[in-house]
Amino acid sequence: MIVLLVALPLAAALLLAVAPARAATVVHALATLATLGAGLAVTVGTVRGAPAVALDGVLRADALSGWMIAVIVAVAGIAAAEAPRYAREGSPRLFYPLFHLMVFAMLLAVSTDDVGVMWVAVEGTTLASVFLVNFERTRASLEAAYKYLLICSVGIAIAFVGTVLVYYAEAVRAQGLAEHAPQALRWTALLALAPALSPRVLQLAFVFLVVGYGTKAGLAPMHTWLPDAHSEAPAPVSALMSGVLLSIGAYAILRFKPIVDAAAGPGFARRILIALGLLSLAVAAAFLWNPGNYKRMLAYSSVEHIGLVGLGLGFGGALGVSGALLHVANHGLAKSVVFLLAGRIRAAYGTVELAGVRGLLRALPVTGRAFLVGVLALMGLPPFGLFTSEVMIFAAGFREGHGWAAAAGLVLVVVAFGGLLRAAQAMLFGSAPAVRRAPAGWIAAVPMAAALIALVSTGLAWPPGLATALELAARVVIP
Amino acid sequence: MTAVANLLTFVALGVTLVLVWRQSWRGRVRLFVVQSLLLGALATAIGLLAGRPSLLLVAAVFLVVKTWLIPRVLWRMAAGAPLRPVRPGRSAGIPVLVAGALVVVAYVIMLPVSGVASSALPTRGAIPLAFAMALIGLFVCVTGRDALGQVTGFLVFENAIFALGVVATYGMPGIVEAGVFLEVLVVVLLMEGVVVQMRREHDSLDVDRLRELRG
Repeated sequence: MIVLLVALPLAAALLLAVAPARAATVVHALATLATLGAGLAVTVGTVRGAPAVALDGVLRADALSGWMIAVIVAVAGIAAAEAPRYAREGSPRLFYPLFHLMVFAMLLAVSTDDVGVMWVAVEGTTLASVFLVNFERTRASLEAAYKYLLICSVGIAIAFVGTVLVYYAEAVRAQGLAEHAPQALRWTALLALAPALSPRVLQLAFVFLVVGYGTKAGLAPMHTWLPDAHSEAPAPVSALMSGVLLSIGAYAILRFKPIVDAAAGPGFARRILIALGLLSLAVAAAFLWNPGNYKRMLAYSSVEHIGLVGLGLGFGGALGVSGALLHVANHGLAKSVVFLLAGRIRAAYGTVELAGVRGLLRALPVTGRAFLVGVLALMGLPPFGLFTSEVMIFAAGFREGHGWAAAAGLVLVVVAFGGLLRAAQAMLFGSAPAVRRAPAGWIAAVPMAAALIALVSTGLAWPPGLATALELAARVVIP
Repeated sequence: MTAVANLLTFVALGVTLVLVWRQSWRGRVRLFVVQSLLLGALATAIGLLAGRPSLLLVAAVFLVVKTWLIPRVLWRMAAGAPLRPVRPGRSAGIPVLVAGALVVVAYVIMLPVSGVASSALPTRGAIPLAFAMALIGLFVCVTGRDALGQVTGFLVFENAIFALGVVATYGMPGIVEAGVFLEVLVVVLLMEGVVVQMRREHDSLDVDRLRELRG
């Protein structure tokens, strides 16, 4: 099943590259549905039973992978439903294959046991999305794509230094002359060997890994590419990047954390993650009070939420990690919907400037109301799931003895909340100018509505199995 | 093995320093090729001396990608670029001094690695040298005034990381190395696409022209 899951989007990408334009939308829809089904099947399998292993252990999905797979296929499903209206405007031959290639790279990154292959897959997500960021081929999108390609390639190369150092530490473990244990880059093997590894080398490696994968995750101060790329990309790509690609960077850090903790004690990784989390919150809170462009505003809101995920991972404990994982899922659902709606707002108003959008609730009643709901969810208000996961993260901070950091984080979240509220208020109310009406696109609206309903359900009453899935996923990285 | 690894890495580091000093693109691309040849020789030598046939294969692929495929793309990108994109009056003295200081920084950062008591790795002396090359590549990349300069810096950085992998671990597993080569190649090809469009839009590769997106 797991081989099928990874092979499906790859095959779809190849097929879409040669498919005639008329068939492309149908193939795209079928591939999305098949990936969704296969992904959810793998997730259910990892929750019910043992990890799924294939290809001599290169592919391995445990409960943590299962959680991430579910988020990826869900966000990809939401984004894919809106994709046709963008693909048609440019070149579907380019858009659809790269979209599925990106999904393939993301799924491979979370369902491999080999940290080297994970690195290759994470870099692959960048390469697949550069063209999509520059899909509109304007000056601004070109600049965004260039920064994105350069900064993320350099960042991910830094993560490779970290991976090399981990491999080195494994080799010199016991008077070793670069004699590696069999399959030493496997995460499961590294975790078993971790207590014997050199603490100082592992600490150094973790710094490189956090800087590298933190660049992909959009943690401040490595976030500089993020607002450009996320605001210039077509809406479905923004949804995919903001909704789940950032979390994959955080996932990579999370995989290395227990290895470093076992070798060097838990304090080191914890301090770094808390510091970067707070810095990300501060950068986002400062920007959100003065956004000029609503897509950039949403991008900075992603910096805020990835900062919260970093805090949750840093605070640690079962509560902190499960809070962070739940936050990844909640943010993925909320942010992808809001980015897609922002795309519709842009199509109607013809501008991405905040000042140009007024009276949204009157001009576009359905889109406007959905946007309001999505933004309220992103603010972390009850009854939405982000409220629950933020409470879990901050409760973990107080419980694990990081009261000051948690308090500072809370203050920053309130500041960011205020900024987002002010901007959203300006967009939603007031007198509406004449806007361009677009076809409603009900097919795309269904997954968006489903995502908003799911957000209420993770906030109010957890569906059966969610608690188990979350607990099993967090336990993978908690010794 | 210690002597060979140290010598080749040291000469490659010297070439990197010359690359910082050189200001013309043609010169820089040639120096990149020389650096790649030295690092390919390093991987071959270690593969032979340590008895790692897989590393020999990696070295062969490395040489094809880094001394033939990528330079071809770089020449294509540079065609039409001014020979000396760096503004007149800018001296190369300061960058070379910074690069020299980065070598010291590299030794300090890599102290926990090269100084691990249990390590009997014959090539561990070359680890800080390789890392110094990486830092210098990063420095060239972030201080590059135009897209070509930044790409060169990135490629030097990437070469140095390959060298680091070779001297610290005798090469990463083959599947990982293969993935890395493929991706470097794709990065360079994507960069070429960006550069072509940049030249069309701005009639220049100066990154100072990229100022649409702020805040």
